[in-house]
Amino acid sequence: MNAREQAMLADRRTSPGYKLLTNRIGLWLFFLSDSFVFGGLLVTRFYLLGNQRPHLEQALGLIVTSVLLLSSFFMNRAEVEISRGNRKAFVTNTLITLLLGITFLVGVVGFEWRDAPFGPADGPQGAVFYMMTGMHAFHVLTGVFFLAILLRNGLRGLYSAERHWAVEAAANYWHFVDLVWIFFYPALYLIGSVVK
Amino acid sequence: MKQERINEIRRGGLVFAVLALLTALEYLLGTNAVPPALLWLIALSKAGLVAWFFMHIFRVFRSEGGH
Repeated sequence: MNAREQAMLADRRTSPGYKLLTNRIGLWLFFLSDSFVFGGLLVTRFYLLGNQRPHLEQALGLIVTSVLLLSSFFMNRAEVEISRGNRKAFVTNTLITLLLGITFLVGVVGFEWRDAPFGPADGPQGAVFYMMTGMHAFHVLTGVFFLAILLRNGLRGLYSAERHWAVEAAANYWHFVDLVWIFFYPALYLIGSVVK
Repeated sequence: MKQERINEIRRGGLVFAVLALLTALEYLLGTNAVPPALLWLIALSKAGLVAWFFMHIFRVFRSEGGH
C-alpha cells in the first residue's frame, strides 16, 4: 500500500460515516451479548418449570405488555421527528415514551411483584419469575435513565437532523428491551398450566 | 421531505397496529391452552417486526444518516 492509499484509508476511518457504521456494529454486538443473558433466563424458566407457569394476574400481564409496545411506537416517532429536525415533536414523543416506561415499571414491580402469591424464595416459580422480571425491569430502568438524558439534551437543543446518534442508540436500546419482553410475556404468562 | 416524514410515521403506526393485533391474538390463544409452538411463532413474528421496522436491523452495516 502506497502513501496515498494509506492517507485515503486514514481519512475514511475518521469520516463521520465510518464512525456511525462502527457505532452501529458496536451497539448490535452489545445486543447480541445481552441476548445471551436473557436467552439463559428463558432456558432456565423451561428447565425449572417445564410445562407449568407461575400463578400471575393475566389482565396485568396484558396491560404492561401493551404499555411497552405503545412506548416503542412513541420511541420510533421520536426518532423519526429528530431525523427530520422537528425538535419539539421529538421532545414530546420522548417524554411520552419515558412516562410509559415508568408505567411499565410500576405495573411489574409495583403491582405484579406485590400481588404475586409467592415470594422470590418460594421454589422454582419464585426464582424464575423474580429473576426474569427483575433483570428485565433493570434494563427498562436503565432505558428510562437514557430517555431522561435524551429529554434533557433535547430541551437544550443538542440534537438535530444531522446529529442524533445518541437518539438512535437509545431508541434501539429501548426497542431491544421491548423485543426481550415479547419473548418473556408468553413464557411467563401464557405457556403451560399454572403451578399448583 | 414532509411527505417522507408522514410516510415514516404512518408506517410506525401500521407496525404498532399489527403488533397490537398479534398481542391480542396471543392473549386469546394463550388463555385457551393452544400448542406453545403457535405462541412462539407469534412472538417470533412480533420480534421480527420490531427488529426490522423499529430497530432498522437492515442498516446495521450501513453508514447512511451521517450523524
